[in-house]
Amino acid sequence: MTAVDSARGATRAVPPVRARERRPARWRRVGGQLLNGALTLPALIIYVGLMVIPVGYAVYYSFTRYNGIPSQSPEWVGLDNYTRIFSDPAGEMHSSLLVTAVIAIVGSLIVNALALGLALLLQKKTRFNTFGRVVMFYPHVLSALIVGFLWQALLGPQGAINGLLNASVGSTVPFLSNPTVALWTLVGVIIWAQFGVQLILYIAGLQTVSAELQEAARIDGANRTQVFRHVTWPALAPTFTIALVTSLLSLLKAYDVVLGLTNGGPGDATQTWAYEILAVSFANNRVGLACAQAVLLIVIAAVLSFSIMAMRRRADAGAEALS
Amino acid sequence: MNKTRRTSNAIRVAVLSVLAIAMLVPLYILVINAFKPQQEILLSPLTLDPSTATTEFLEAAWNSTQFPVVDSYLFTLLLVLACNLVSIAVSVPAAYVIARTPGIVFGIVLMFFVAGMFIPAQIILVPTIFVLKAVGLMGTIPGLVFFMSATMIPFTLFIFSGYIRMLPRTLDEAAMIDGASRLRVIWTIVFPLMKPIVATAFVLNALSAWNDFVSPQLILGPGSQHKTITTGVYAAVSSYSTNYEVVFPTLLLAITPILVIFVVMQRFIMSGLATGAVKG
Repeated sequence: MTAVDSARGATRAVPPVRARERRPARWRRVGGQLLNGALTLPALIIYVGLMVIPVGYAVYYSFTRYNGIPSQSPEWVGLDNYTRIFSDPAGEMHSSLLVTAVIAIVGSLIVNALALGLALLLQKKTRFNTFGRVVMFYPHVLSALIVGFLWQALLGPQGAINGLLNASVGSTVPFLSNPTVALWTLVGVIIWAQFGVQLILYIAGLQTVSAELQEAARIDGANRTQVFRHVTWPALAPTFTIALVTSLLSLLKAYDVVLGLTNGGPGDATQTWAYEILAVSFANNRVGLACAQAVLLIVIAAVLSFSIMAMRRRADAGAEALS
Repeated sequence: MNKTRRTSNAIRVAVLSVLAIAMLVPLYILVINAFKPQQEILLSPLTLDPSTATTEFLEAAWNSTQFPVVDSYLFTLLLVLACNLVSIAVSVPAAYVIARTPGIVFGIVLMFFVAGMFIPAQIILVPTIFVLKAVGLMGTIPGLVFFMSATMIPFTLFIFSGYIRMLPRTLDEAAMIDGASRLRVIWTIVFPLMKPIVATAFVLNALSAWNDFVSPQLILGPGSQHKTITTGVYAAVSSYSTNYEVVFPTLLLAITPILVIFVVMQRFIMSGLATGAVKG
């Protein structure tokens, strides 16, 4: 072996070349690594500067009392802001937590059920179905703020829908003026604007489900429900995971739509956690508290997303085996 | 068999039609009421009487000083283009390095970026304001563009690196052996091959920049002379929200172009969203 190698090397005159290139090669490797680093630098600077460092600031401010005025400096108060969130002495924050939880839980359940059901109906590519997809999806290309204003104009006490109800049945529904009804109106409007996104995800997911497997199940005598339960649904597992996480993340941060629809009212009945951060704490110069609330939301969003993905790992792996 | 299939298809069409109407009625009410005075809007919101229809309120909304329509459109378009330019220009080389360098270091770098996808932009905005103040970019357009780009980079970079991994290595290696510099390989060989995924990123980032309200409102300030479509609508509508002569025409002016773009490019936009999610 060695003899052959050296013989080969000799005929190709490799050893002298190697000797000459050894050092430059190493230099080139170091240079290459530096260049690699340099190429990621612009993205890193912007991302770290305006996303990562702000998270650091948020964590720091969350332990301070700070009104945001440049001439004053943050005063260290330890866990005060967090205990304030949990004990809620003024009785203003827990209702926002509840509102956000309702939006996130009820909203993501209905959004995903509706989107999956419609995806099954709109699965085939026909003209009618393309029209259906466009119609279900279009609210998403509108700004959430505009969606809020639009529904506010439709459902307000003087709005179009109450005007019609008044003319036909002689009574109105307090869509936005009764605290409980207003919360459900908000949930409904958010669902109306959101489910189109998940619909598109499910339609895309359905296209990856093996048609042969479905056909085979059908030939073996499975009815539609059985085919869905034992073939389609397991194969959709990764799509369901993505759709659930994306819907949850966008529902947790609902703010613009609230601003347009109810501006948090009546009272604080429709104030979400994001509304609490931006329009209550930050607007009243309570930067420390706003940052503690922001940190809490980021932690909740991250924990929820990662635990859903961890819990779904087995189902996702099963789907890979199916495809 | 054939009969049950026909019935089930009829049910399917019926269900979808009812839902489609529920989706479209708000839009219909918005459009027709933009041409009516307040009294008529309140009395008969579902019909449009051609003899009394007027573009008077639309003209008033067009000339509104709170929501300068043409300027807002131009400014929003500028933001969309600038944010896409910045986020794509910095993400392509970074994604190339991440996708093409073996080893754990750049794997960790990718995870570090991906973590940003779980941080809601409007939530991190409060502390970002203090960072922008510290570097003197608060209240400026570059500050806004950099922040919005920063929120787009995690997703853009993630789908780019996934896409570059699928491109054959031999192409860029051959160019490298021929003596092309790495930057040249990235921009003249790899980047042209990335067209589909760049288009996907562009569409999704454009939608989020177009519809962003909180970032321009807080970074530029509510009194800024630069209005986006969303901050303009907010300024024009929020204090007159029961004056439907203002609300409907303003909203109509704000949504018509984006809806037209969406209907023309619907296949492209919706498949872009699906690609983005599959890669995510």
